[in-house]
Amino acid sequence: MSKWYPKKGRVILHVDMNSFYASVEMAYQSSLKGKPLAIAGNPEERKGIIITSSYEARAKGVKTTMPLWEAKRLCPELIVMRPNFDRYRIASKEMFKILYEVTPYIQPVSIDEGYMDITSCEDQGSPLAIAERIQTKILSQLDLPCSIGIAPNKFLAKMASDMKKPLGITVLRKRDLPYKLWPLPVAEMYGIGGKTADKLKGIDVETIGDLVEADLFQLKRLLGINGERLQNRAKGIDPSPVDPDAIHDFKSIGSSETLPHDTTDETEIKKLLRHLARNVARRVKRKHAVGQTVQLMLRYHNRKTVTRSVKLPDYIENEEDLFQTGVDLFEHNWNGEPIRLLGITLQDVAEKKDIAKQLDLFTYEKEASKEKLYVAIDQLTEKYGENPFKRIKEQEEEPRTSFQKDFLDDYFHQ
Amino acid sequence: MKFVIQRDQLMESVQHVMKAISSRTAIPILTGLKIEAKETGIKLTGSDSDISIESFIPTEDNGIVNIEQIEAGSIIVQAKYFPDIIRKLPQKTVEIITDNHLNVTIRSGNAEFHLNGQDADEYPQLPQLHTDESFELPTDLLKDLIKQTVFAVSTVETRPILTGVNMKVEEGYLNFVATDSHRLASRRIPLESQTASITFPSVVVPGKSLTELNKILEEDQESVEVSVTENQILFRTKNLYFLSRLLDGKYPETSRLIPEQSKTIVYGQTKELLQSIDRASLLAKESKNNVVRLQTKENTVLEISSNSPEVGKVVDEVTADSIEGEDLKISFSAKYMMDALKAIENDHVKIEFTGAMRPFIIRPIDNDQILQLILPVRTY
Repeated sequence: MSKWYPKKGRVILHVDMNSFYASVEMAYQSSLKGKPLAIAGNPEERKGIIITSSYEARAKGVKTTMPLWEAKRLCPELIVMRPNFDRYRIASKEMFKILYEVTPYIQPVSIDEGYMDITSCEDQGSPLAIAERIQTKILSQLDLPCSIGIAPNKFLAKMASDMKKPLGITVLRKRDLPYKLWPLPVAEMYGIGGKTADKLKGIDVETIGDLVEADLFQLKRLLGINGERLQNRAKGIDPSPVDPDAIHDFKSIGSSETLPHDTTDETEIKKLLRHLARNVARRVKRKHAVGQTVQLMLRYHNRKTVTRSVKLPDYIENEEDLFQTGVDLFEHNWNGEPIRLLGITLQDVAEKKDIAKQLDLFTYEKEASKEKLYVAIDQLTEKYGENPFKRIKEQEEEPRTSFQKDFLDDYFHQ
Repeated sequence: MKFVIQRDQLMESVQHVMKAISSRTAIPILTGLKIEAKETGIKLTGSDSDISIESFIPTEDNGIVNIEQIEAGSIIVQAKYFPDIIRKLPQKTVEIITDNHLNVTIRSGNAEFHLNGQDADEYPQLPQLHTDESFELPTDLLKDLIKQTVFAVSTVETRPILTGVNMKVEEGYLNFVATDSHRLASRRIPLESQTASITFPSVVVPGKSLTELNKILEEDQESVEVSVTENQILFRTKNLYFLSRLLDGKYPETSRLIPEQSKTIVYGQTKELLQSIDRASLLAKESKNNVVRLQTKENTVLEISSNSPEVGKVVDEVTADSIEGEDLKISFSAKYMMDALKAIENDHVKIEFTGAMRPFIIRPIDNDQILQLILPVRTY
């Protein structure tokens, strides 16, 4: 028994890499250290926006998603680099490897952050000692800084890791909440965006402490069920488990791309739609998913952006259906002006195993012919637990599009 | 034109023809309602060019006088205002007068409306049907035929022909079939011997037309005359003329899609099953397809269950009258099952299954004129 670990309850770490892409570049090229550095998509082209920046750049007001020209105006000496996704992928893999040395109970959230449940790791020392060891190891082996939050649940761990950057370790216990968490403005709370914060302001909830005090009935009326969840979190209650499979939850799968030049050429537009449909279909397939709503995004030469979607009677998954629906949406909604960017997203996505497929009178024979197989799988599943047969995953050779999600897919499927 | 009419009579007829009038139509005059007065009575007409309805109010009906002071004539009034005006008039009688400048005066008690009318000559002539291929049906039977099938038509335009009900005469039976490809509803009735010899083509009537017709027809034993041509169908009663466009195209052959053998047969009580499915679907509504699962158990028990991970689950048991054949586990849309059971018309029902991935058939226990078929859902 250790005094560091609660008898009941959990110990959760949230590990958050500090300005990850920029830090990786600095690790590769130490001359960049201490300089304002930004990673931007296609620096030469007008469409470049800041993906991430070093703390030195942030000090000058450079922010993520800011257009490049604006960042340069704020910080003329800014060094801008293209993203080297291969480098980040390797670094992330190494980083998670260090985490996995501590425990397998890890929930990756993105390429550069994850939760760890170390409740049963008392043999490895106190939570603080474990966190320090992780931070030191990532810094010495990978030359990358990270911040770590230690708390009894995921929400508090996330809030804690945010409190000291870079290279911070913050312990946030329930008894610390009144002076560490509650004085913060409510917008700082993870899970509260600008709109929610505005709504809360309307009922005089300015700080996280106010949220704790707020009337639950009023919150529910304002924010629905989420109101209760947010209040619970503010009180330090978050029962959600560290779920190693959570990364496979997804509601939409999309792909978008900017054209090399504004165009009204339908052949070119359709070619890009085809390419996007193929990207989406490939990822849909890899996830064994299907989806019911297709959304098309059009951005015009003047940056005006419209999204239009259609809900289909049936679930779709393949490239042809995505392409056809995308083209339909395009033809119905394009105003004829030059187009800069197109995107196709499949929404209402579900894993095939979670949804039911309504059979069709005119085509059911095809499905029914496999009935014996399904019955056998069913029986074996009952006997042995989870479906003992898995469809063979297909090997993908084409380059990835949506980098982060795909990266995580790859990583956790190998 | 002039007449004085019982307000309730007029209102009822107006409501009937309004079923055919749409505010969105390519032909502007069709947003109007046509009124024609003759010595014999008043005729109202509404049309959206897909459906046309004429409703006739006789001057005198079984010795009861409906209309007085008739001066023949005709006018088009705006359907947007006319029905509300009639509904809200203060007295039981209404006087309607037109002058030579297409002005319409509507008077009842102390209330007097002046409406601008339009020239009735501008209203398109309703097509006259010329066909010998007609037959008569009792109204309540026609209403049954519609109610037991029309709910199964497709509501999406992906296969337009499936938005209609297939009507055909075969071997002395009149058949109604509707399917949205996920379920199928059919009802057939033997034709009277004198009409049994008629031949008429297999036609597809828009589901919407039949739904509206069903709303207008009174539940009674009066007969409806049905006439069919290549592209139109006419339903005529004593005072009603209901004309609908037919759907173009060939209706898929459905009879061969209905399984002939079965592996599991369940006999049960219609109402009890319906209530159990209804309960199970309470939670299933949240999920994508409103799916419930049916499983046969020992001692003629059926387990009906549903599971929505985010909401919860429900398990319900119903005792069947009997179960024959193999054990079965099958999932299907609760809505389709409830629609089908409601159409059954009998306290006892027979359900024939041929496997978890094949269509199953629901029939009343004692007659094969009603057939409901449902395709199950497969969980991947």
